[in-house]
Amino acid sequence: MIEVKELSKTYSIDGQVFRAVDNVSFTVRRGEMVSIIGHSGSGKTTLLSLIGGLTKPASGSVLIEDRAIWSMSDDELSAFRNRKMNFIYQFSSLVPTLTSLENIMLPTAFGDYGEDVAGYARELLALVGLKEKENSYPSHLSGGQQRRIAIARAFINRPDIVLADEPTGDLDEETEAEIISLFTRMNKDAGTTFVVVTHNKDIAALAARRLKMANGAVTEISGG
Amino acid sequence: MKKIKIYNLAVRNLRRKYIRTVVLLLIVAVVTGTLLSATIFISGMKNALRIGTYRLGADVLVVPAQNEAQAKAALLAGEPTSFYMDRSVFEKVAKVDGVKKASPQLFLKPSSFTCCYNVDVFLIAFDPKTDFTISPWLEKNLKKPLTDNEIITGREVPVLVGDTIPFFGTPFTVAGTMEPTGMKFFDQSVFMTMDSAYDMAANSKTKSLQPITLDRDKISAVLVQVQEGMTPERVAIRIEHDIDGVKAIASDEVISTVRRQLAGLLKGILAISAVLWGLALLMMGFAFYMIVNERQRELGLLRAMGAKKGHVFALIISEAVIISITGGVIGMAIGSALLLTFKKLILHSLKLPYLLPSAGVLIELITGAVLFSIITGLLSSLLPAVSASRMEPYEAIRKGE
Ligand SMILES: Nc1ncnc2c1ncn2[C@@H]1O[C@H](COP(=O)(O)OP(=O)(O)OP(=O)(O)O)[C@@H](O)[C@H]1O
Ligand SMILES: [Mg+2]
Repeated sequence: MIEVKELSKTYSIDGQVFRAVDNVSFTVRRGEMVSIIGHSGSGKTTLLSLIGGLTKPASGSVLIEDRAIWSMSDDELSAFRNRKMNFIYQFSSLVPTLTSLENIMLPTAFGDYGEDVAGYARELLALVGLKEKENSYPSHLSGGQQRRIAIARAFINRPDIVLADEPTGDLDEETEAEIISLFTRMNKDAGTTFVVVTHNKDIAALAARRLKMANGAVTEISGG
Repeated sequence: MKKIKIYNLAVRNLRRKYIRTVVLLLIVAVVTGTLLSATIFISGMKNALRIGTYRLGADVLVVPAQNEAQAKAALLAGEPTSFYMDRSVFEKVAKVDGVKKASPQLFLKPSSFTCCYNVDVFLIAFDPKTDFTISPWLEKNLKKPLTDNEIITGREVPVLVGDTIPFFGTPFTVAGTMEPTGMKFFDQSVFMTMDSAYDMAANSKTKSLQPITLDRDKISAVLVQVQEGMTPERVAIRIEHDIDGVKAIASDEVISTVRRQLAGLLKGILAISAVLWGLALLMMGFAFYMIVNERQRELGLLRAMGAKKGHVFALIISEAVIISITGGVIGMAIGSALLLTFKKLILHSLKLPYLLPSAGVLIELITGAVLFSIITGLLSSLLPAVSASRMEPYEAIRKGE
């Protein structure tokens, strides 16, 4: 499903080359859930962005369903993202001018989706326990509520792959459990592939494989 | 909302930063309004000039030399005036080489329109036997000659056909009204025969509180039509050479005076408009640069969700186009309202003829103004929109943090 080959991403800071992601290779099979842990600054977010085609690698390649994503044109890659994958960000990522429901529906503005995206969006809203906040704007939601809306949004396009960056970062245990059950359900029932950056033990336990990142390099610590 | 469209995002963003949106709207409104009212104004004057000079129907106007300024003011701005010279001038003018037709006229200035309105009107008396400027109109529209107690009124004189109005104590019946010309000389004038004018003057001694003295051998001006192959200027020079104490104003001279004034005005208005437009472009461009800059993260997120470059480009451009269309419409409404409100004032201070352009021309001008404001919006947001669509999603998302 996802094939990462000798992937590197470098930044030059004050003339010095900094390797945020350093020669990383691994594969993720369809329907697998992979977790990534690592210290702050070890390159986790950068790696997810590379897999999602949000930033170009310095070298190496990412293959999704055997297609090298950087061989696609920008439009193809955008459409590919829109159809196949979705992201959950570390930080708040809602559009402030849209209501909860509209935020969840937003990805469908950029592709061909049926008329009833609102129906599915409401279902997802209920799944993250925010049914009654359908018409609230992000500024009227707590940080955790905003995050749950962002999580609901990650499933609106019925993606094959979800790339999640600390998805339960600021949630209490109970809500966390809800999100974990949502992930499990999507993983088991819909066969969604997950790559989750997390320090949460429960999510990590859910993952069949665990990767550890340090200084841009990845090592497999379990599964495989 | 059943489905989200780029347009909805644009509208929401504009509403969110409503103060900035209002400022941008106003900028577009001011520029479009200025431009539109300027073009309507200018085309109105050109329009009036075309119709007005055609209607004047005379190539040369002969007046007493000392009254040249008054005569021009009357022709250009319709300022009522009155001056006299001997009827012999008419006979002399008729004999000058190159003169095809000549006809005397009397200009009278009633102290006020005594009946019911407080409008400055200008009394013009013509000689039906020799007249070639008003009679063709009478033949076509009235289908009978004007009798001694009848008058024809210009469009801006507030009376109806059949009304009776007294001048200097003598009642006159309105036999017809002329269509508007944009020249006050016609629009605010009342036409009567010279015989009725002399009778009216004679009767004013007993009937009016403002009696006038007007001998039957006095006239105010002689209208001249030149022979084919002669220029009005040449005939005017001959008339001035042959007859002492008169000024012969060639119609071209009147028109060219107006043209010169108009050209100067046009240049001024164009210069101001160009500067305004340049400023508006700069300000809008800057505003859109800021809009893109502060929304980098949001735009990056949209890209990550699968928005193509074209979608981001369309989003920014839509905001600009919404602003320019709305601002353009507001500007046109305000511009036209101001133009109508201050039309009289502006015209009075400019002393230029004016006639509102026809509906067709107005529609053309308005369409042009809308297109122009849309182009302004497109131009000012083009670079920001391009740079927004070119950002790498991850960079955009990070930078916006
Ligand atoms: N655009 C950039 N320019 C320079 N350095 C960058 C840039 N983006 C990321 N980095 C660096 O790359 C390294 C990895 O960053 P990244 O965000 O991937 O870390 P992370 O593992 O997600 O950390 P955290 O757990 O704190 O989110 C960091 O040292 C960061 O400073
Ligand atoms: Mg991170």
